[in-house]
Formats: sequence, structure tokens, C-alpha cells
Amino acid sequence: MHFSITAGLKAVIEGLPYILGGVWVTLVVVVGALFMGLVLGTLLSIAHVYGNRVLRGLTGLYVWFFRGVPLLVLLFLFYFGLLGALHLDLSPFFVSIVVLGLISSAYQSQILRGAILSIPEGQLKAARAIGMSDTKAITFIILPQAFRLAIPGWSNEYTIIMKNSAVTYALGVAEIMARANHVAARTYQHFWLYLLAGFIFLILTYAGTKLLGLLQKRVAIKGYAR
Amino acid sequence: MKDSAMPANVPVLRIENIKKRFGDKEILKGVSFELNRGDIKAIIGPSGGGKSTLLHCINFLTLFDEGHVYLNGIEIDHANKRELYAYRQKVGMIFQDFNLFDHLSALQNVQIGLVRVKKIPKAEARERAVAELERVGLKEHMNKYPAELSGGQKQRVSIARALAMDPEVMLLDEPTSALDPELVGEVHSVIQKLAAGGMTMILVTHEIGFAGSLAKEIMFMDEGVIVEKGPPRKILYEASQARTREFCDKIIHFHHREDDQE
Repeated sequence: MHFSITAGLKAVIEGLPYILGGVWVTLVVVVGALFMGLVLGTLLSIAHVYGNRVLRGLTGLYVWFFRGVPLLVLLFLFYFGLLGALHLDLSPFFVSIVVLGLISSAYQSQILRGAILSIPEGQLKAARAIGMSDTKAITFIILPQAFRLAIPGWSNEYTIIMKNSAVTYALGVAEIMARANHVAARTYQHFWLYLLAGFIFLILTYAGTKLLGLLQKRVAIKGYAR
Repeated sequence: MKDSAMPANVPVLRIENIKKRFGDKEILKGVSFELNRGDIKAIIGPSGGGKSTLLHCINFLTLFDEGHVYLNGIEIDHANKRELYAYRQKVGMIFQDFNLFDHLSALQNVQIGLVRVKKIPKAEARERAVAELERVGLKEHMNKYPAELSGGQKQRVSIARALAMDPEVMLLDEPTSALDPELVGEVHSVIQKLAAGGMTMILVTHEIGFAGSLAKEIMFMDEGVIVEKGPPRKILYEASQARTREFCDKIIHFHHREDDQE
């Protein structure tokens, strides 16, 4: 393939609107997966920290599975395997969010578990001592602090999910990577288009971590350095 | 006083034969006592003797293996959650290391129990919380967070937090032992104010001077039993048990030495 900057730039400029359209797809997949991961991960972390032996075992098993199996394998397993077996017709888009969300919940549960365990145990005792149920104590005392402590971990999790979302291209989700690939196949300017895709991801990961950094400052507890 | 229908002879709090073991170590070997309204009892004794465990057992933060707890003559069934949560509001607990909620301001620390447990509307709860903080002399610091407060101020917030729940009894678990010496006084004076107001209290402490001036009765506890109890003067200076005498001699000497250095 002949290497030409002008031809490359031309392909990039012409393909840009189409590829940028994939940013929204990527963002919905990532934000959807992170949100699902947050809800499930929070429940898992509570089960892991406060649950009985059976609950702890089950969450351990869940985390072990979703942290240990590659994303691509899980995507294929769910989309081509499970949907077929269950005679379900769901979009690759939806399945991608669910699979990324399940994986993220495993990681987020561990981020949050660490955060919960780093809160002095006396606060739970004090909450009980004023008549709070454990559910109230966890909701109003433990989680608000654990969420704050988890932000740096989430920042990391966000970049991982953002980058991993490119793999959903394998199911045909029209996100950034799929669209870059599409334009590249048409123009033969692979180098420039993958560079563009990489650059867009770089901006998205950078913006996300910056945003979470701002959030961390905003919700920081006064006078509190930990 | 509060319940005029209550016969005067029913103790506010009665502890009956509490036993607790951790693994094969017996921490409490059957402890019993009772408190009448307005009683202040101090518990002293060597570390590891079961004092703190006993206070934790009294409001079920630690579950005991055997025994009974009665509030105003009614036995508390901790398995009944509703009953347990109501009971804990009636028995305020002050911890050695304050245990304030780090993400909440002093005001919110006091307010949260009123809002989330007592279900009092926010504005009313705020008013009440401000009043409680005023009572412990911290109204001007009410918007500060725990990390911005001194140890003494934190402990006073924690006392206000417990008082806001309108307790009938207060359990104080070494309320000043985590404090720098110069901060002990402010917490002691808040506790004295409570005493003057007629609050029923159990005070676990190493500050025997304070215990002696405040409590009508001192209980000496060691190896999971109340070895001996009586008026402060008797326990501190004329104890009948050798163990009590040995312990009291040691800390009284220690305090005198400290006084000499000053």
C-alpha cells in the first residue's frame, strides 16, 4: 500500500462525521455498562462484605468468573451461544452493554469492597447504637463514604471499559472502531483511520478521567485527607 | 420521673447474669447489676477485664451467650429488630474513639438519627440538633466536619448525637482515654452537666478521680466478674478484696506521681 499523507488526510476528513457518529454509540455502551456495573457491583460488594458465608462464596464465584474469562469469549458466548440457546432476539448493542456491565460489576464490586473495608468499623457500631438498622447504616453512613473513596478506582475502571468497548465491534456494534474499520476497508487508509480511532479513544479516556477527578474534588470531605 | 405510671422500685436498666465467651476465652462470667433512674455507676478495672465488652453487650453491639437485659422492667429481645432499634435509642453509647460519621458535619452527625431513625422532619430535626450542640458548647462549630474538630470537640459531638435520641441511660466507654490530657476537662464538664441534669449513666473509665467525684457507686471489674462494688471512698481506699486494693493502689499512686510532676 502506497503511503500518502494527503490521501490519508482526505480519507480521515471524509470519514470523520461518520466515525464521530460512533462516539455516541461508544458512550452509550460505556456509560450503560458502567451504570449497570455500579448497581450490580454495589449489591455484590455489600453481599461480599456483610453477607453470610454462602453469599460471600457466591459473590466470590461471580467475580472469579467474570474477571477470568476474556471479553471476546463472553461476547460470543452470550450473543451467539446463549441467545441462540434461549431463542432470544436481542441486538448486539444491548448484549454488549450487558456483557460489559457484568464484567464491570465484578471489578467495581472489588473496588467498592476495598473502599467499604477502609471505613473505620466504629462508624457502623455508632450507627447501630443510635438505633439504625444495618440497611440504614449502610445506605446513609457507609456507602456515601465508600463511593467517595472509590472514585480513583472508578476512574481506572472507566478507562478500561472505554477501551474494551472497541471489542464489541466484533458483534457488529457500530461504535468508533467498527466505523473506522469500515472506512479503512473502503479507502485502504488503514494507518490514518486507526490512528484517528486511537486518538478519539484517547480524548474520551482523558475527558472521563478529568471529569471524575473534578467530581472527586467536588465531593471531597472537608479537612479530610485519606 | 418520665413515666409516672412506672412503679418507683423498677430499675431503669437491669443486667442479669451476662456471660460472653470469645472462642475458649470467657470474657464475662455472669455479670449482674441494676440502675435506678438518676444513678451513676462507674466501672473500673484492668484492661481485658471485660468492662468494654460488658457495655457493648448491654446495647447488643456484642451479642452475649447467656443473660438478660431489662429496660424499665421489660426484657429486651434482640431478635425482634424493631424492639432492638427502639431500645438502642433509649440507651445512648459513647465510644472511646468517638466514631463520628466522617462525611457529615457536626450538625449532620447529630441530625441524621433524628431524620433517619426517628423520622422527624428535617427542619425540626435541625433545630433539635442545634440545641443539642449548644448543650455541649459546640453551636459555633456545628458546620465543621469531624476532621476539622479536636478530639474533645469530637467527643462532645458524639455526646450530642446520643442525647438527640433522647436516651434514658447513657453508656460511656472510656470517653476520655483517647484524648490529649488538655482536652479531657471539656468532656468531663459536659458529662458533669449531664449528671447534674439527672441522667442515668454507666461510666467505664481509668480516671478514678473523675469516677469518684461523679458516681455514687464504683464497681471494680476483673477477669469477667464484678469483684466488688461500693461507694467510691470505700472502693478506692478501703477495698475488701486484695485484687481491688492492688489495682486502686497502683492507679492512685500513678496519679499522685503525675500530680507531683506538675
